[in-house]
Amino acid sequence: MNLPIYLDYNATTPCDPRVVADMLPYFTEHCGNAASKDHSFGWMAGDAVESAREEVAQLVGASSRNIIFTSGATEAVNTALKGIATANVRKGNHIITAKTEHRSVLDSCAYLEENGCRVTYLDVGNDGIVSVESVENALTPDTFCIALMYANNETGVINPIQEIGAFAKEHGICFFCDATQAAGKIAVDVNRDNMDVVAFSAHKMYGPKGIGALYIREGAPGINISPLIHGGGHERGLRSGTLNVPGIVGFGKAASLCRQEMLRDSTRLQPLRDLMEEKFLNEIPGALVNGRKDRLPHVLNISFPDTDNEQLLLSLSKYLAMSRGSACSSNTQKPSHVLKAMGLTDEQAGHAIRISLGRFNTAEEVLFATDVIKKAVQKKRTAFAE
Amino acid sequence: MKEIKQIIEAFEQARMGGWKTALATVVHVEGSSYRAPGARMLIREDGLLTSAISGGCLEGDALRKALMVIMQGRPLLVTYNTTDGADEAIGIHLGCNGVIRVLIEPIDPETSIHPIILLKKAVEQKEEVVLVTLFSLENYRDTRQGTRLLVKKGDVLNETAFHLTCKSDHQRLSCFESRMLKDIKKVFEVAQSLFITYQGADQQGTAKEMSATDYQSDPMSDPITAFLEYVKPAISLVIAGAGNDVIPVVQMAGWMGWETTLIDGRPNYAHAGRFSGCQIIVAAPESAYLDEVVGSRSACLLMSHNYDYDKAMLRRLSEYPVTYIGMLGPRKKFERIMRELKAEGVSFSDEQLSGLYGPVGLDIGAETAEEIACSVIAEINMAFSTGTGKPLSTLPGRIHHRDTDILNTVQGISK
Repeated sequence: MNLPIYLDYNATTPCDPRVVADMLPYFTEHCGNAASKDHSFGWMAGDAVESAREEVAQLVGASSRNIIFTSGATEAVNTALKGIATANVRKGNHIITAKTEHRSVLDSCAYLEENGCRVTYLDVGNDGIVSVESVENALTPDTFCIALMYANNETGVINPIQEIGAFAKEHGICFFCDATQAAGKIAVDVNRDNMDVVAFSAHKMYGPKGIGALYIREGAPGINISPLIHGGGHERGLRSGTLNVPGIVGFGKAASLCRQEMLRDSTRLQPLRDLMEEKFLNEIPGALVNGRKDRLPHVLNISFPDTDNEQLLLSLSKYLAMSRGSACSSNTQKPSHVLKAMGLTDEQAGHAIRISLGRFNTAEEVLFATDVIKKAVQKKRTAFAE
Repeated sequence: MKEIKQIIEAFEQARMGGWKTALATVVHVEGSSYRAPGARMLIREDGLLTSAISGGCLEGDALRKALMVIMQGRPLLVTYNTTDGADEAIGIHLGCNGVIRVLIEPIDPETSIHPIILLKKAVEQKEEVVLVTLFSLENYRDTRQGTRLLVKKGDVLNETAFHLTCKSDHQRLSCFESRMLKDIKKVFEVAQSLFITYQGADQQGTAKEMSATDYQSDPMSDPITAFLEYVKPAISLVIAGAGNDVIPVVQMAGWMGWETTLIDGRPNYAHAGRFSGCQIIVAAPESAYLDEVVGSRSACLLMSHNYDYDKAMLRRLSEYPVTYIGMLGPRKKFERIMRELKAEGVSFSDEQLSGLYGPVGLDIGAETAEEIACSVIAEINMAFSTGTGKPLSTLPGRIHHRDTDILNTVQGISK
């Protein structure tokens, strides 16, 4: 067993070696620019991009013509929200989102607020889930977009996307979904889930960093997204710039592998996650799971009273890699906005850690981690009490 | 000194517990900073910190960097620039306005010479030493970086001055050796730390150890900057007297990291039950053995409340080159003792006279034993530094006058 053990798959996943193997030729022998139309290198690159697009589309039940590649989920989210807002200037100025969204959505919404939009940030219940009723209640005649995440990055909690999507459809409102944590982990289907615009990323599904995708439904209400980046007209003009061919190839392979293996992965990981959770709840008095009702099978967000999460994680960094919440804000001392929205106090949020398992974790590793964490918490709590 | 001792102790504990460690050293500052070059912190792999390199604002980031250094096993120079607010991105807002360079080096306890051993040897010395810590302004990952060398006065021009470092380090430093040794001599002369960048091999070294082509291709002759740290031995405190008012003085001296020796003729007063953590000599002034106790880094306090005892002790101290002698009591008493000693043929040099403080203490309105201890300890600290004893708020300019210019050997500092 190699130490430290990586248990932070929600932050990013290691690249699957099969993905890397498929990517490598595109750095060297297949060096073509996908936009080169007059030689075989360009054709090969273009072909690889299109078959990757097909794989990525299939993962979310979409047609490849509705997928555009971006530098990652954050760019996809920005393109989507700013684009939808620009396209709907005449229709309305109200966005419905939730307090537990990822920073990329919250910050994009804050930017739009500065530019004349009105944003409703929905509360969530103690379970971290956005209720369909709260979305319905927030609806105004000016609402042009509902922007909600599929599954939460910090807790793994899954929103009732299908119902919310149906509601949006019924009212002719664009439904944008950040599916970064869900795509490749659980079944996501743009049609079944009634999603109009969907953002996701390769590096959360065993693909490379620096490549993401945006699904845009054809003919969906008020969708005529204007690009953030101009120049060259790549990706149907929505995302100019020479395509990251190795990254896209890797994304395609990762999506294809996930489509075939995600059920096997989750069937294997969920019992391990549940075992870990059970041990903590049984053997550490006061341990509390944050968001338990409906969640991703590999995620556990848990609070250990009387422990400081930062101290706990650093003291275990020799053995385990886990996190306090989202990777983006890990270097600052701000308590998790997600846990606060779920009703935790700053202090309670300071007791929480996020464990996210993945494809390459073995049962042995998870059992070892459970033991190490349990012992460290018991030791810290003794020290804390003194 | 106290900090270094704490670090050594923490390192020993970590070693016994099987923990890996790293040492963080402030090697250079520009502009204002809370801690001066030479501030050190020990990081244990489970996140335990001993001592500090800042007022608390850099520790969080330095801890993470240090844990990485421990895992990677190679040194790292971290530069915190607080002049443009750019570092606020990593959660740091110091309110200071400066550039702080912190070298973080892994410690391998299995090697015969590692930073902690050098620190230990530095602490053991009763005289000034120069501790050399290398860092690179050009390559923050330069593997030559680290606490490398300890040199005692008098050993400077001697080739064997490098004997305290391990052989491989010797080789790696050899191309700068002759110039560095000259500069270390300079540090002893000016009695302050210097920062010097070495570039290119010594001419002598080039001829002797490597050919011209080696010189071109050898990364060992890439520029490297040395923090030549002038380390003074800790202040030692000698107190004549063992009354109740001495108890807070001994306690505060302990916080300061000073070694304290108590001399009194009364065994029922001068005993370990009343005074822990200090050496106790029960003797009359005339017979007390002072040679090992009193030196140039000693501060002596005459607090016996016994006119004859204080006077006899001052007579003994006239034989030693003491930096500071303070006498408790009114000016009249001090002047009378000085008159009588003079009449008895005891003479003080001008240097000794400038170190006589009677009545003892700074004017802070001290009444109680604790307040008096505070005023006395502060005065001693001032006497061993360049401080004035005045409120900083009334003084113009900067708090610290730290000369941290980085000199280049090419500019001829070594002459």
